Amino acid sequence: MLTQAWKSFLRTRVGRSVFRVGLPSTNLERAQAAISSFFLHLQPAKVNRRVVEFRTTLGLGLISLYLFLILVGTGVLLMFYYVPATEHAYQNMKDLEFVVTAGQVLRNMHRWAAHMMVLFVALHLCRVFYTGAYKPPREFNWVVGVMLFLLTLALSFTGYLLPWDQLAYWAITVGTSIAGYAPLIGQKLKFLFLGGHVVGQSALIRFYVLHVIVLPLAAILFIAVHLWRVRKDGGLARPHEPQVTSENLSTAQLPLTKTYGLMELARGSTPAVGIDPEDEIFTWPNLAFRELLLFLATLAVLLILAICWNAPLEQIANPVHPPNPAKAPWYFLGLQELVAYSAFWGGVVVPGLLVTALVALPYADRKRQGIGVWFSRERKVALTIFTLCLVVAVVLTVIGTAFRGPNWSFQWPWKPVPVHETGTP
Amino acid sequence: MASEPDKLQRRQFLTLSLGWCSAIFALGASLAAAGRFLVPNVLYEPSRRFKALKPEDYSEGPTFLPNLRVFLFRKGNSFRAVSAVCTHLGCTVNLSGNGFHCPCHGSVFDQGGAVRSGPAPAPLTWFELTLSRDGHLVIDTSLAVNPDKYLVV
Amino acid sequence: MDPNLRKFYPWFAALSLLVGGLVLGAYCKDQFREWKDWQRKYLHDEMARAATAEQRADAARARIEIRQILLPELERVDRCTTCHVSVEDPSYAGLPQPLAYHPNHDRHPFSKFGCTICHQGQGSATTREAAHGRVEHWDRPMLEMNYIQSACGKCHLPTDVPDAPKLTRGHEVFVEAGCIGCHKLNGVGGVIGPELDKVGANRSPEWLLKHFKNPAAVTPGSAMPPIKASDADLEALTLYVLSFTGEPLSAYYVSMKTIPGPSAGRRLFEEKGCLGCHSVGGKGGAIGPSLDEVAKRHDPKWIFEHFKNPQAVSPGTVMPQFNFTEQETRALTEFLLSLADTNVVGFLKVPSAVGPIERGQAVFRKYGCLGCHGPDGQGGVPNPNAKTAQQVPGLKFVSEGYTKEELKKRILNGQREIPAMDPTKPAPPLYMPPWHDKITQGELNDLVEYLFGLMPKGEKLEF
Repeated sequence: MLTQAWKSFLRTRVGRSVFRVGLPSTNLERAQAAISSFFLHLQPAKVNRRVVEFRTTLGLGLISLYLFLILVGTGVLLMFYYVPATEHAYQNMKDLEFVVTAGQVLRNMHRWAAHMMVLFVALHLCRVFYTGAYKPPREFNWVVGVMLFLLTLALSFTGYLLPWDQLAYWAITVGTSIAGYAPLIGQKLKFLFLGGHVVGQSALIRFYVLHVIVLPLAAILFIAVHLWRVRKDGGLARPHEPQVTSENLSTAQLPLTKTYGLMELARGSTPAVGIDPEDEIFTWPNLAFRELLLFLATLAVLLILAICWNAPLEQIANPVHPPNPAKAPWYFLGLQELVAYSAFWGGVVVPGLLVTALVALPYADRKRQGIGVWFSRERKVALTIFTLCLVVAVVLTVIGTAFRGPNWSFQWPWKPVPVHETGTP
Repeated sequence: MASEPDKLQRRQFLTLSLGWCSAIFALGASLAAAGRFLVPNVLYEPSRRFKALKPEDYSEGPTFLPNLRVFLFRKGNSFRAVSAVCTHLGCTVNLSGNGFHCPCHGSVFDQGGAVRSGPAPAPLTWFELTLSRDGHLVIDTSLAVNPDKYLVV
Repeated sequence: MDPNLRKFYPWFAALSLLVGGLVLGAYCKDQFREWKDWQRKYLHDEMARAATAEQRADAARARIEIRQILLPELERVDRCTTCHVSVEDPSYAGLPQPLAYHPNHDRHPFSKFGCTICHQGQGSATTREAAHGRVEHWDRPMLEMNYIQSACGKCHLPTDVPDAPKLTRGHEVFVEAGCIGCHKLNGVGGVIGPELDKVGANRSPEWLLKHFKNPAAVTPGSAMPPIKASDADLEALTLYVLSFTGEPLSAYYVSMKTIPGPSAGRRLFEEKGCLGCHSVGGKGGAIGPSLDEVAKRHDPKWIFEHFKNPQAVSPGTVMPQFNFTEQETRALTEFLLSLADTNVVGFLKVPSAVGPIERGQAVFRKYGCLGCHGPDGQGGVPNPNAKTAQQVPGLKFVSEGYTKEELKKRILNGQREIPAMDPTKPAPPLYMPPWHDKITQGELNDLVEYLFGLMPKGEKLEF
């Protein structure tokens, strides 16, 4: 009944002006649906069969994108009640918790989506590495992805300060202090971020502007480029992709665009040879429907988290009274653990090397083996090195989270060192 | 008797319909919730219901309450409260002889607040006056009443 | 739709239903608030009490909504009245909370004071647990009712609140124990212990009480001696100390501390020598009339004007014009008005009988010397590892060991290094601070006179 109503709407003049293609029933219409819609045309009319299989990518990139969209939605709503002033911010958080309809749920959604996004972007990075999908011709897209990872961390970090409670204030104090250890530019950078020497009103407004407009715009830009490059680099990486070299450039080996594939639909023949059309299926509805399902699943999980667990809010920020220990947000705790040993090596050298290594990776590792294959045997060295670094990062983060108590002393998570009312352990 | 593939088709169709209906419902509910979210439940403004002094603390005749822009009138044991905001463009009116007069554009109101002359389009609003349980006058500027409604204490 | 996708239809339906259900569930969960139940109960009670149809209509009109008191000058918003709906309604007196009446609220109207400035708790909250503040991450839970008088001390001088006798007693104990000798309060006091300006906000009543009874048990390594006082007095002291919250209060609220009350007036009365001409309680001069019942003969305005210009108010009087400041005049007026209360008269001292030794004793109390040296210089306060028998020395025999000049020098310069009994052990924690920037010359002279007079008559140290 609903479909009948929708179909009759699509036949009206208004309907036809908005939806050029309506409900496709022929292959031509399916192809047209994909390319005539602004939102759908970021994906090609036909995709390789592998793309719709869950195990190819585990949908991690898509989930990250969905989380970003949910964050933008909930974030904009929260902006109607939040004032980035030190006299107001904390009270606004309390208002959201107590007097705003659905304020608590929306805030929870925003917070858990933020944490999940950091996690899923990291997982997406690992997936791309483990399937060798950074290798040529996708080197630049990998770099764009690393930039997006850093943008995600920056977004999470700038948002962390906004509640202006003890958790926020001291996490940012620690985080910006770690940044201050960079040689030559560190202190100047810290001064610029904070708009001063201490975390105060200047820091709050700068972090707010970064968080709600500068970084989201940058993220949207980079996401657009990132998705565009996926398209232009030939879709998701897969094994035995026909490679374009100077030898076969003249022949009709054109795997990088789909125009010739569509010509097959329209004209019945195509100059492209050597491409197996049976491996390709239509984006609409196969991929689109699965993407919708993934979105619903992500939303469902997020709603469950938001309903069951409240985002933390501690006492109002008190510059005189640091908690013991003062911890950076969880994704920086590995760094903080390293910094506890050596500020220079842990705070500057290691993160610097890590980022450089990540960015340089596809230019250093140009071997074409193992593209599109999970844990390919041909890449044992690369896989081992990466896994080692990953494990160390995770272990350091876990130590920083659960095994560090007052004065950054070691404690077993099940036996926390008690802190007396005087504030000393 | 529907054949097997037909029954399957119908069940699948129903499932799909259920899916789309729920999805549209979820979308609608989310938008509605977002809309309700944006309606404030508390206002960071002075309340429109104002608890004044006890009746015996007010002298006979008019008293001006500046934070509410209200004239309170006492005649023996009867009280009335009228808005001092000119209905033309919002200036504060003055008392004059037997009525009110607005200094901005010359509107003149009579004792009951009705417009005698001038650009004002509507009479002055009389506000509801009640007595709180602990004996204070309460003026509610969100409730308009008839000009001849007095509060007798 | 595509036949390949058919296997996903049940998933689609399930997920859509789940999301729809969760959105609905989240919204409904949000709608159930405990304060709504209390407001409905209030409505129900009001309807039951309504005698006429008009009253019933009035009662039914009440909206179920969050109620709050905006207090921008106190930098807070109190939403307690969302559940405590009938605080201003005397007909609810004595009924169970939260729908009970708050007695005597007229003196501190809710619109100007709210609730949490006295009762503490988390005013922004709208649930019972969170609002009463007994939750994690809220440092100021609601004050227990037996300590409620400490709230008066935030705005009022402890000596000016007859309705808070525990606060006044606590202040007396504070002075008697000489806390100022080691602790600074409002910039005045010693430096051996921490400042007390915010101690009421940072410590719980239980901690304070335990601390007074045995400081070393609560703060290991503390050199503070236990306060010797009765349990009731220690409670009063705790209550008084709880009023040191260091909360920023705007001029309107803090003015109570600067508007002079009767106690300030009494001090002026003694200082200015009014008893030279007037008598109170049978003591004093007979040139002017007795002042015991002056409040009954003249209204406050008369007394006030009389101070400002006695000739204008009482032509032919010989009372000089003292040119008091506005504050002083108000204080003196308040004091005279309080003379109708007989309790005040007993505390007055007759000026001519006050000599240097009595004044010196007042100085001894003022600077809290007795905190370390004991009441009347008895000693007995432990100072671990000090050569002076591990105690802060008593002062009874100070006239034997020092000349007056030496003693004055000692008081002015203090002694930072206290000789230790055992040099390998930690240095003695208590030391004599310098008083040169605090004590005046006149006070110093009187103090030395007093200390020299501590020698018990007939006793002499045997060597």
